[in-house]
Amino acid sequence: MRRGSLDSPARKAHTMLPTRSRISVLVFLLPPLLVYGAAVLFPILQSLVLSFFSWNGIGDMEFVGLANYVHMLTHDDVFWRSFLNALGYLAICLVLQLGGALVVASLLLSLRRGRELVKTLYLLPAVISTVAIAFLFERIYSIDPVGLLNQVLSWVGLGSLERPWLSDVNTVLAAVSAPEGWRFTGLYMLIIYAALLAVPRELEEAAILDGASRWQLFTKIRFPYIRPVWITTTIMATTYGLRGFDIPYLMTNGGPGQSSELVTTYMYKTAFTSTDYGYASTISVFIVAECLVAVGLIVFMLRRKADA
Amino acid sequence: MKHPLRSKLRRTAAVAAVAALALAGCGTGSASSPTNVSPSGQIVPRQISWLLSRPADGSVITIMKKLADDYAKDHPGFSLNLITTPDRPSYIQKYETLAAADKLPELFDTDATPFAQQLAKQGKMMDVNKVLKDLGLYDSFRPAALDYQRFDDGSLYMVPMQFELEYFWYNKSLFQKAGVSVPKSLNDIPAMCTALRKAGITPIALDGQDQWPLERYVSYEPFRAAGPDYITSLKKGQAKFSDAPGQKAVNWLDALGKAKCFSEGFSSQGYSDAQNAFTSGQAAMYNIGTWELSSLATDKLNAAVRNDIDFFTLPTTPESVTEANEFVSPSGIGMAVNAKTYDPLVADFLKFALTKYPAEYAATGALAPTTNVQTTIPANATPLYQKALDKAKDLGTKQIMPWDTQLDPTSNTRLQQELTLLVQGNTSPADFTSTMDSTIAQNAPKFFK
Repeated sequence: MRRGSLDSPARKAHTMLPTRSRISVLVFLLPPLLVYGAAVLFPILQSLVLSFFSWNGIGDMEFVGLANYVHMLTHDDVFWRSFLNALGYLAICLVLQLGGALVVASLLLSLRRGRELVKTLYLLPAVISTVAIAFLFERIYSIDPVGLLNQVLSWVGLGSLERPWLSDVNTVLAAVSAPEGWRFTGLYMLIIYAALLAVPRELEEAAILDGASRWQLFTKIRFPYIRPVWITTTIMATTYGLRGFDIPYLMTNGGPGQSSELVTTYMYKTAFTSTDYGYASTISVFIVAECLVAVGLIVFMLRRKADA
Repeated sequence: MKHPLRSKLRRTAAVAAVAALALAGCGTGSASSPTNVSPSGQIVPRQISWLLSRPADGSVITIMKKLADDYAKDHPGFSLNLITTPDRPSYIQKYETLAAADKLPELFDTDATPFAQQLAKQGKMMDVNKVLKDLGLYDSFRPAALDYQRFDDGSLYMVPMQFELEYFWYNKSLFQKAGVSVPKSLNDIPAMCTALRKAGITPIALDGQDQWPLERYVSYEPFRAAGPDYITSLKKGQAKFSDAPGQKAVNWLDALGKAKCFSEGFSSQGYSDAQNAFTSGQAAMYNIGTWELSSLATDKLNAAVRNDIDFFTLPTTPESVTEANEFVSPSGIGMAVNAKTYDPLVADFLKFALTKYPAEYAATGALAPTTNVQTTIPANATPLYQKALDKAKDLGTKQIMPWDTQLDPTSNTRLQQELTLLVQGNTSPADFTSTMDSTIAQNAPKFFK
């Protein structure tokens, strides 16, 4: 099929819009655009400007050029530690959210009864408040008094693994990432499940008649079909993961030491505890850049795969 | 001094605080000089605000509300708007953000931190030394209560609203069971912990989540070895952790960690977890101040341990330069008076409230910041209550300033993090020392120019 033939109906519809309608579309688009500019673009620009200054909030602002960036990238061990932690946090969240969602959604398709109940149960954590989740998991991980996780480990004979999960520097990052992953698995499951439902039955039946295995059916038919939705969910989950803040902040405040410090919690402390607003803005600019790069990479990789 | 608040709640509030920084109730009086303590003009009643960090149902707020109501009877149109954020870290964020926006209300709470000192230097706070003298109240205050509020240069910009003494509470029967006695020296504590652990007892209950309780421990050895000057030099980068007093602290904390003095997983235990561990008879020691007297020295205390509880003050060391009657005796977060909004009304209300406040406060069973009133012992108190209050009569001239009010905020955050790692055995004393010395060298100059 020629590419132009796909585009032309849309273009035709566009040119067919009477001038009056075009103006009204613009008029209706303008207010949200202004709101977006004021609420999103302006603060980002403001942070960018502030990141070139040293300012403690009450003294004079001092222009320092790129000094904040140089310090962040070359001298700040806490920043790099929190960046690596954030990547670990992201990886755990993505595996739990996307991997978990895909598995559950696929299993859900083969379920004959009770789909609605399972869907609701999986979605439930997404509607519980973050604070409640943090409280809940803090109790689950506790060792004194013994929490659920340690209790279960001792019941199944793995007592040697019992530990204060949130105080152990080796386990705390996974321990604060898991609740965030668990929380949104249901939400992504729902999106992917909806996409899987839209896969045409006749395509699947044709593949089965041709002797495709369940795995081939998934990799050759279903997954390529849901790829656009998969890209969107991956972008959503990645950007949420990179901006993760509340659960680690509430559960450990980044500790012990910097073991569960994320770039976001570090930025928050730099701004509101250290009152180093210039440097905090530098970190926030990094977070924006990091999210843009991540989205770019995802789109690039998945598009290339689709074209291959 | 910090207040009993579940740390989860405090962080919850912190998360909310990001969105809720806009605050109403800021006065718009004419600008006044920090030393002009008797502004001229008429008293025009209006609403004034106090941004504070105290328990919402605590005595300070209850009393000040009552006094404000009494004052309003003679000054129709006057009211006191109390905006409290009991959780300290959230409060500090709110107060510093408002200070940055130059929107602080007539009265606001602050410790004698480097940030507050910068505000004072910019002429944003009234000289409380002069205010109290002008009101004729200065001499009634306990010197220790005023000293706690002073900056390093001796200047005074905050009014103390309370006075507390911090003790080591201990369980006599658990001590007996483990065959240990009250430590004569700080250096005895690690061995004591080992003995208690052998007897299956948690030696010390500690709220690790809130950070400041562990930070108290780092201040003890240097205060005994070098007096109060060590921290005032350390925070400016003039003294180092690698100096002898600092090394004493580092090695002592390392020894406390190795002797398993604190419960497993202490860093994720909160204020009430720690207190419960002590009052339920699981932990043998608990380091806390007289603000917990109503929980530890009244019939509210678990009957099973009530007769076993006693306390001792901070032990000395063989080479101690400070006396046994010198320890942590904070007068709590102070009340600062905004210079910009100080007018005849604020001055008159302060005179009214501060004159009547100490008697009302002492009647609640707490130690007042002044010496001209007698604390009323509650009817349900155990004999320990009186004993705890009596120590206030025999205090030395020096006191330990909590380090979290002294260090610049970035070094303080790092110290709190590294202390947990040191006590948990995740970092060595040498690494701790070099990390902290370089952190302070990097951040102190910005705050102590």
